[in-house]
Amino acid sequence: MIRYSHILSLLTFLLVVSAFAPIQAQDAPAPVNLTLAGYAVPREAYGDIIPLFQQYWQEQTGQQVIVLESYQASGAQSRAVAGGFEADIVALSIEPDVTRLVDAGLISEDWKSETPYDGFVTRSLVVLAVRPGNPLGITGWGGLANENIQVITPDPATSGGAQWNILAAYGAARHGAAEGFSADDTGAEAFLRAVAANIEVLDRDGRESFLTFERGIGDVAITYENEVLGGQLVGGQYDLIIPQSTILIENPVAVVDTYVDLHGTREVAEAFVQFLFAADAQRAFANHGFRPVNPTVGAEYGLVDEGTPGAVTPNTTITFAPVDDLFTIEEFGGWREARAAFFGDEGLFTRIIAEVQGQ
Amino acid sequence: MREITPRSPIAILLIVIVIGYAAILFIAPLVAVVQGAFAGGLEPILNTFRDPSVVHAFQVTLVLSGAAVAINAILGLTTAWVLTRHRFRGRKLFDTLVDIPFVFSPVIAGYAMIVLFGRDGWLAPPLVPIVFALPGILLAKVFVSLPFVVREVQPVLQTIAPEQEEAAATIGAGSFTTFRRVILPEIRTALLYGVVLTFARAIGEFGAVAVVSGNIEGYTETATSYVYRALNDRSTVGAYSVSVTLCLLSIGILVLMSSLRRRLNEQER
Amino acid sequence: MTEFRLSAPIEREQAAVRRSRKPSYGFLGLRAVALGYLIAFVLVPLIVVQVQGLRFGFTEFWASVTRPEAISAVTLSVYTSAVMALINTVIGTLTAFVLVRYRFPGKSILNTVIDLPFAIPTLVTGVMLVLLYGPQTVVGGFLNNQLGIRVLFAVPGIILALLVVGYPFVIRTVQPVLLQFEMNQSEAAFTIGAGAWTTFRRVIFPAIRPAVVTGLLLSFARSLGEFGSVIVVAGNIPFRSQTGTVYVYTQVEAGNLQAASSVSMVLLIIAFVVTLGVDRLLRRNTHA
Repeated sequence: MIRYSHILSLLTFLLVVSAFAPIQAQDAPAPVNLTLAGYAVPREAYGDIIPLFQQYWQEQTGQQVIVLESYQASGAQSRAVAGGFEADIVALSIEPDVTRLVDAGLISEDWKSETPYDGFVTRSLVVLAVRPGNPLGITGWGGLANENIQVITPDPATSGGAQWNILAAYGAARHGAAEGFSADDTGAEAFLRAVAANIEVLDRDGRESFLTFERGIGDVAITYENEVLGGQLVGGQYDLIIPQSTILIENPVAVVDTYVDLHGTREVAEAFVQFLFAADAQRAFANHGFRPVNPTVGAEYGLVDEGTPGAVTPNTTITFAPVDDLFTIEEFGGWREARAAFFGDEGLFTRIIAEVQGQ
Repeated sequence: MREITPRSPIAILLIVIVIGYAAILFIAPLVAVVQGAFAGGLEPILNTFRDPSVVHAFQVTLVLSGAAVAINAILGLTTAWVLTRHRFRGRKLFDTLVDIPFVFSPVIAGYAMIVLFGRDGWLAPPLVPIVFALPGILLAKVFVSLPFVVREVQPVLQTIAPEQEEAAATIGAGSFTTFRRVILPEIRTALLYGVVLTFARAIGEFGAVAVVSGNIEGYTETATSYVYRALNDRSTVGAYSVSVTLCLLSIGILVLMSSLRRRLNEQER
Repeated sequence: MTEFRLSAPIEREQAAVRRSRKPSYGFLGLRAVALGYLIAFVLVPLIVVQVQGLRFGFTEFWASVTRPEAISAVTLSVYTSAVMALINTVIGTLTAFVLVRYRFPGKSILNTVIDLPFAIPTLVTGVMLVLLYGPQTVVGGFLNNQLGIRVLFAVPGIILALLVVGYPFVIRTVQPVLLQFEMNQSEAAFTIGAGAWTTFRRVIFPAIRPAVVTGLLLSFARSLGEFGSVIVVAGNIPFRSQTGTVYVYTQVEAGNLQAASSVSMVLLIIAFVVTLGVDRLLRRNTHA
């Protein structure tokens, strides 16, 4: 039997604690705090890179850096930052999520010129993941349109990655990579409609979507090369299929000018972003399945020739295979055009989903 | 109704149905999550709790839930009092307002906070950061757990005759003394029951917190947000062991609830 | 108590309590605190949502709530909540009856764990269900492969999650009424010869009916707004497995705040109309 007085003392304790205990960020007496707002997928890679940067910054300046990390779907993250989440650095899935912050006046117009490689820090491909041994014999995009195939992809309304997926499917079909569909807009639309009818779960971000596939739902996941390679590294059982034609994913990173000036963290934030392009950070990304933008590092993973050794050892199990027909977002005339045409309330994909799932 | 020992096969069947339903519905899943947490032995679980961000997440959850309880207990009690004892225009409307957090989608409540306190919000800039910081989480927890104290205390207050208070007042007792001596003893079980429910709801809140917190690890991440993050991190042991800890906390809360319920029932007789 | 410095309203309240020897001040002060609390924490967010929903005018509001995706999400919420409420009302009434009427081993444990769904964070409820009914688990695999029932990421999963969350309501409203229920002699005589079912229907049920309906409505209203468990188990496919609250979340995340606000207003209105409407209906019936 619990006595009333015990409950009362417990409550009193809670009240006292809550009234007097100031909650501090962990290791609060840190000289400088840096907040990183990332999209869901590169979390593990940043887990490797941040300690390297902390060491680097300590050596350079003697100052300790605490990096506070937050990861959620790219679009949601971008909107949170626009809504007042004072992140110093954003690492997002698609360029429009950075553009939103530029439009909000938080990031300067010339953010792309502040970093090498046009503001893009990692690359990847839209690929397919199938069950071990590929029991359904899916070899490319065409296989997704067959009846009774369950497809997993995230929701383009919330996930930047999902937009890559839909654009990859449409673009590849237009290039004739979807067997059974004509290599033009009509064929591509018909193909997209057939795929949309097969979608089984539409999760909110790329990671969640791939985990749904890992949990055994669906026959094939439209996902990213880095998700599949990263998952296989931690024991995931599935096969990677690189379609003959697909889109090149480019993920932007940027310093949020308004907030770094507010926090007085510009110097360290810019150093962090630059650090992401250095060989070791690029290797860390590559070790988690991202295609490095730094060509020297790319070389170490079979993309070009030779590289120089550093603190991070390249993972020899990862090599990036070449793609026959690789296109970029310029295929659709850039993001602004692509988003207007495919997503949003009146976009092609929104209409198709309403048509095929809405009966 | 008097309690009897079941004799007929139908009675036994009914008991089996009732127990079976509860078992399938939530006892079996509970067992599954405990099993999932211990699948890799004790070491991974201990490692989870050595992670400073997990410890911090629990700290944030408990301290902010405690604060939400304090706010809702004190102000909720006042509200219950005013709604039962005062007669004024619009009382019905305010009485209805109490129920809203119970049925309102917490996500949209969280988003309303961003509209109010976010960048370019209606009340921006606030003196201290509210959304994407700890005060926002506190507000979210207060909102979702607001109805419980009011709704538990209100019916009991209605049963106390105002004459008792008047009698106390005529013999010269101040109103605070009257409250402490006459009213508090009557309502304390209901109040504590409300407090326990408030605490449970505040600890478990996820939707509103997910929107207002920004999910910054080691800062605004709560225990439930950690579970969500760990699932996405493929850190299943982490997700399950924090889930189990939250369940243990719930069971502690539950034992409190059932002993309070017994008192409440006794009081009603 | 005075050592707590949480926020200004509390100090005001204490001042009010102290000052209430002059009844009018204390009286009004107390009322101001209570109403201020409700206005600040409930009314203001509500107004924000309303304003956001209507900020482009009523036409736009109407357009966003009549979008096929929105209609089907709200319908799915109402449907799953209704199915849940019906199942839980039957089982809940039965459970309350069994708990009050019969003596059996494990009874006090059952009586305690009934509140578990109130106490467990609903997100954890979702996690537990995925762990048990996921396609890779023994139970989920069996249901999926042998019986062809997909639980997770489909409508059955949503109903299951709501069943857990809504489980205690009917039991906890009906149980105290049954405890106080006395079968008097005439009623007993009336039921002699009648079966147990008839006794229940004619004698017991009319007495507990208000409590049953209250529990049903509470659980229905509660599950319309349920989010934490549903987000884990629902498949989020528009028209198939996207509930109202998940739709609202998706719209918030997608930056379509006007639509999110509009749809959540609709959900709120449904919850209130159903609970108030049925409540009134019930009261009229009992008076007649």
